[in-house]
Amino acid sequence: MAEQNSSRGVLPVDISQELRNSFMDYAMSVIVARAIPDVRDGLKPVHRRILYAMYDAGMTPDKPYKKSSRIVGDVLGKFHPHGDTAVYDALVRLAQDFSTRYPLVDGHGNFGSIDGDSAAAMRYTESRMSAIALELLRDINKETVDFIPNHDEQEQEPVVLPSRFPNLLVNGSSGIAVGMATNIPPHNLREVIDGVIMLIDRPDATVDDLMKVIKGPDFPTGGLILGREGIRKAYETGRGSITVRAVTHFEEMSAGKTRIVVTEIPYQHNKARIVEKIAELVRDKKVDGITDLRDESDRKGMRVVIELRRDVRPQVVLNNLFKHTSLQASFGVINLALVNGEPKILTLRETLVHYLNHQREVVRRRTQYDLNKAEARAHILEGLRIALDHLDAVIALIRASQTVDEAREGLMTSFGLSEEQAQAILDMRLQRLTGLEREKIEQEYAELMERIRYLRSILADESLLLGVIRDELKEIRDKYGDDRKSKIIAAEGEINEEDLIPVHDVVIAITHRGYIKRIPLSTYHSQKRGGRGMSLMGTRDEDFVEGLHVTSTHDYLLFFTNRGRMYAIKAYDVPEFSRQARGIPIVNLLNVEQDEKINAVIPVKSLDPAEIEGINLVFATRQGIVKKTPLSEYSNIRKNGLIAINLRDDDDVVGVKLTDGTKEIMMVTRQGLAIRFPETDVRPMGRAATGVKGISLGAKDEVIAMDVAEDDHDVLVVTSRGYGKRTPVQEYRAQSRGGKGIKTINCTPKNGQAIEMCMVTADDDLMIISQSGVAIRIHVRDISTQSRNTQGVRLINVDEGQEVASVSRVVADDDADEGDSSSE
Amino acid sequence: MDKVLSNEEIRAIITACGTGIGDEFDLSKARYHKIVIMTDADHDGSHIRILLLTLFYRFMRPLIDAGYIYIAQPPLYKIEKGKVIRYAYSDAQLEQALQEMGRQGVKLQRYKGLGEMNADQLWETTMDPESRTLLQVTMEDAMDADMIFSTLMGDKVEPRRDFIAEHARYVRNLDV
Repeated sequence: MAEQNSSRGVLPVDISQELRNSFMDYAMSVIVARAIPDVRDGLKPVHRRILYAMYDAGMTPDKPYKKSSRIVGDVLGKFHPHGDTAVYDALVRLAQDFSTRYPLVDGHGNFGSIDGDSAAAMRYTESRMSAIALELLRDINKETVDFIPNHDEQEQEPVVLPSRFPNLLVNGSSGIAVGMATNIPPHNLREVIDGVIMLIDRPDATVDDLMKVIKGPDFPTGGLILGREGIRKAYETGRGSITVRAVTHFEEMSAGKTRIVVTEIPYQHNKARIVEKIAELVRDKKVDGITDLRDESDRKGMRVVIELRRDVRPQVVLNNLFKHTSLQASFGVINLALVNGEPKILTLRETLVHYLNHQREVVRRRTQYDLNKAEARAHILEGLRIALDHLDAVIALIRASQTVDEAREGLMTSFGLSEEQAQAILDMRLQRLTGLEREKIEQEYAELMERIRYLRSILADESLLLGVIRDELKEIRDKYGDDRKSKIIAAEGEINEEDLIPVHDVVIAITHRGYIKRIPLSTYHSQKRGGRGMSLMGTRDEDFVEGLHVTSTHDYLLFFTNRGRMYAIKAYDVPEFSRQARGIPIVNLLNVEQDEKINAVIPVKSLDPAEIEGINLVFATRQGIVKKTPLSEYSNIRKNGLIAINLRDDDDVVGVKLTDGTKEIMMVTRQGLAIRFPETDVRPMGRAATGVKGISLGAKDEVIAMDVAEDDHDVLVVTSRGYGKRTPVQEYRAQSRGGKGIKTINCTPKNGQAIEMCMVTADDDLMIISQSGVAIRIHVRDISTQSRNTQGVRLINVDEGQEVASVSRVVADDDADEGDSSSE
Repeated sequence: MDKVLSNEEIRAIITACGTGIGDEFDLSKARYHKIVIMTDADHDGSHIRILLLTLFYRFMRPLIDAGYIYIAQPPLYKIEKGKVIRYAYSDAQLEQALQEMGRQGVKLQRYKGLGEMNADQLWETTMDPESRTLLQVTMEDAMDADMIFSTLMGDKVEPRRDFIAEHARYVRNLDV
């Protein structure tokens, strides 16, 4: 017996099958009965049950508030066999004016705040329905919607509410089910109702038409919606991303300081957390320039104050905050709702069509219900009229009857009345027999017949039915409609990195081994000629700084490699490091090939062909070649670089300069020869051309530098042993391109060979770096002017065996911040 | 793994089983040879059941291979007429019972949770070895099981949505 029992009591079940079945039970239940709203009334079951329970218990706006716990108890016991916190949380949300665009619950007490504070416990707070919530339930007792038994079959609950306004779009919804989620933003009541009305008047209205009245979401928390493209995509496809930004303004403070004031934040974001995040950014120095941060919000409104240092640009700080905090956030629209119990992603049009169809059914069913009532009443009145017409006979019949039943039978047989009519006659009071009352019956009957005709016409004529819907929607719109809270503004484009980066002058340093870094220009002090300089870079052994470029963060850096290719990045793409740091390998920034080496770098303000017309790039190579190409040929920059010049074997680019077509070119060789010729001698060539001969080189000589000869400039030449001098440009006569050149510096064992030449003015500063990484910044005016054929003076002390690695000019414009740098 | 162990209930289950988990699992240390999953008979119960099955499958798989894992079958309905009480474990059984007993004067209770039952009712309907039905969890096709676990309990949403769309028609019981 026991044996039999146990074999009967245990059934095998395959784990895969069990998992499948249990998963589907759970998933479908969550989708259709928990997390996704119905397209018709925009409610999830818990909300519908809360509202119906409140309505059922008479907690309407004209009654006093009731304890929230009573409502939660009713909802749990009658309709919703789940957790009490879930019900109370849902109720609280419906009451929060920052969560729900048109609150459906009128709450009294602490219902939480936009700082994420939770509501008081349900035994403290009180609630009742809001006025607009009544419109969701209006006509529910007129058989307008289906009812089903509740979980214990003791109660009846509606499967959907009549929803006399389009609640799904108006209040929005969000929920995470299994394998799918919904996120529908709230809208303005007036706009959505106008959209439904447009669809009534023009059933073929397109999304474009509808968007003329439904401009976009309207959040209870206001804010700015950036751009219409995301909105359009969401309305056209049911999915889209909408960018919402906080409302802010600037206020002037004393001493020229500015503060940013935040008065509205994006929907569903927590103010306290935003403030926390800003504080974190300040602490971690991710956003610079914030001196104080206070939340001055009170019961009257929001006011978060961010005070700024005097020297920062408020808009840049604000852009940074938009970028890094929820002061700007995106709302991902997923317009998923249940249509006939199935989850569907809906377009705006579909959503409105489903709503309109629901209203058709509700109004039709209500009209039918009213018609049935009217006809029943008319039937009674017809009976009364017959009785009044034959009053004496009726009275005689009743008096002659022994029982009520007998009287009723008699009336039915003698006058051809129905049972209801006969009963109504028996229930009639004697006062009804007065002449005035008789008139009233006639009048009521006439009115009733008129009403029956009207109700029948509605049922017979679709356009009349739609007219009723339209009128009733307009009534709700005019009664509850309000102005838009969220402003929609044109997108100003993505905040790209560039808007967040302050424009300032920087030094880009590049080492022999190919490391690069960015340092603020102000890091350098101006020192006297002949000083030891200071360490620019904690270079590794056998590495030294080779290139130094003074530029601005927003400028392009054009890199020219030994293979004649060009790469372009923005200066801010180069990571900023401290003075001692080594930087990062250039190959991490550019897609250069192995063995490709950067031989020249040139900053340019723009690569837009319209802005750079007439500007040329002039190249000089070690073997004396020059090439001139319009800069616009390089506008189309690519990640993988462009061919900049076609180099012969064994040749390198030693210099690249910008010219405007009227300049003169100067090239200098290692052995101290210089040649000067007009750039018009070099005809413009294409990007991939080889170029023409610039200078005829002697044996073992090579070009070390090329620059543009400016008449009011001096030619500065620096030698490998740290000597240098400047010579007026006028001392160099123009020659024709391809000559041998003339002597520019006397190279001796003492001063070494020429290693750098550039054009300078007396106001310039120079940056000179030795191979060991020692740098010195000196004023050009401290370097003596000598004639061409001289050795120069000592500019920097170079240790034995060391050479000068690089010389770079700090252009005159930047001298403005010299005071700053020396005071640091 | 750390995330799994951070859950107190799961730690209690692992302790009770006595076998350890993952690499340290030892079937011979199992303290019980019947580990019965008994959850509410609603969809949240289904959810907890699949979570527990996933735990056993991922970390204590030999328990399943050895046939130690069972699923209890609490009733869905109590049908009461006069002094006769019957329980139904499925909608089909409910229909059958109602036909046999007649619908008049029947009190019907839909069980949403185990907590609705008194101890003796729970014994009678679900736990009494003389009358209960247990489902013994077996694995007929390891490949299939692997596939279904990673589809339904994995971290990718797409295959899950496809599965739901495909199987939506075959849902067993759906409570609202």
